Amino acid sequence: MRLLSGDARDALLTPLEGGGRSEAVARRLGSAIALGLIEDGEQLPSESQLAATLNVSTLTLRDALADLRSRGLVETRRGRGGGSFVRMSPAALARLSHDRLAEVGVSDLREIGDMHAMVAGSAAHKAAERASPTELARLRDLVSRMSGARDATELHRLEGRFYIEMAAAAQSARLTRLEIEIQGDLAQVMWRLQPDRSAAAVAGERAAVVEAVARHDGDLARRLTEEQVDGDTRRLIEEHIATTRSRDREGGPDDHHPRR
Amino acid sequence: MTTTHAADPATVICAAAEGVFATVAEVRRLTLDRHAAAVDTGRPFDDADVSGLAPAFVELLEAADQLAVGLGIILEPGTLPGHPLRLEWWQRPPGRDAPVPLEVDLHPDSIGFYDYTAADWFAVPRRTRARHVVGPYVDVHGTDRYLLTLTMPIEVAGRFLGVAGADVPITGFETMVLRGLGGSDAILANDEGRVVVSTSSRWITGCLLPQQRRRAGVRLSRLPWELIEPPLPEPARAATSGEG
Repeated sequence: MRLLSGDARDALLTPLEGGGRSEAVARRLGSAIALGLIEDGEQLPSESQLAATLNVSTLTLRDALADLRSRGLVETRRGRGGGSFVRMSPAALARLSHDRLAEVGVSDLREIGDMHAMVAGSAAHKAAERASPTELARLRDLVSRMSGARDATELHRLEGRFYIEMAAAAQSARLTRLEIEIQGDLAQVMWRLQPDRSAAAVAGERAAVVEAVARHDGDLARRLTEEQVDGDTRRLIEEHIATTRSRDREGGPDDHHPRR
Repeated sequence: MTTTHAADPATVICAAAEGVFATVAEVRRLTLDRHAAAVDTGRPFDDADVSGLAPAFVELLEAADQLAVGLGIILEPGTLPGHPLRLEWWQRPPGRDAPVPLEVDLHPDSIGFYDYTAADWFAVPRRTRARHVVGPYVDVHGTDRYLLTLTMPIEVAGRFLGVAGADVPITGFETMVLRGLGGSDAILANDEGRVVVSTSSRWITGCLLPQQRRRAGVRLSRLPWELIEPPLPEPARAATSGEG
């Protein structure tokens, strides 16, 4: 059964290998929030349940939730009807991506970009051979929604879904899984990308890939996809370099944490 | 025991599909029984009735020879008072023992919202009031599976309540069909011309058949599938019969 967010959520809320530290847990939950898999205002499962799902101790999970709380992404209410709730604001997401982008290095971004170009390029190539009219319609629908995206958050989410649907149209569960993992890695840093690209421009590029797929031109679909991913990667790296250079002037990493 | 036999492909494929539909029919029967029990006591079928189906669904999912990895019901909007959209669907995720309920985003305003009423596994049985099969398709976002989804309409006195359904990984279905086929050759395609199961390594599961090959197909009884006999018989070979 294809029910988008539920299954996507399963993908990110899978057990972390070897337990995992609180940073890894916070990163995973942050990705799920950034990708919109956990919605604004949504209540998270109980601490014991979520800890079991992610295969970490309750203590580790609490540290991760405290981190997300300090970033303004999670709010904890006490008492009856209490629990942890997702608080997703564009400002909090922009800060999160700013922080994450500062944590990684240029080579990390290049690695993700290389992997993404390979996976998305292959997916587009195979989709040109295997996509059904229904799948093409779904891709076209995503592109048209992208061109009308209200803000950067919506545009990034639609883009992520576009890549995932392309891998599904290639009839490959493995490429789909890789694409979801990559989107999880990218989700937290992509928010920085918006200002220099209009939604219409992004949608136009993706539309060209869909039309190549529809014409069964796998080579063109692959080439266009690789160029688009490489372009995004280059922009991310430029952003990262700019962020890192200006880091000192903006204060340390604790700058964004509310003081108590 | 190694045997070479040549079974009738249509018979083998229909039997495999009917096996899964028997599970779907059981899901539907459980739902209708509960609906009737509610009506008999003079109250509307409600959310508690739907939740109360969970143990029976889990038991069905955990049955020893169950091919399905997910099953349940998806209700027509407005069927339950106060619940515009409602489903009760359980699945066995890869790598986890216990079935878990599928939790989905049913908020129409959110970007993750999936309008299930538009999905073929829901819309086709609603329109035709007949059963349907969707797939194979990649279970987008993560259960890491290539699936068939089989659904049946649930009706009470002509009123459509929703669908009962089951998800079957294509690999399990294919194994059953290939074992049944033995020495026979066949290419099975769905209504989009996508190969469901095949004995040819040229036309494999998931690929789209060109138009000219699709016309040669024979429609299978009560299934949205066509059987295409390969033009050249492949060399006869010994097949391990798994029926024994």
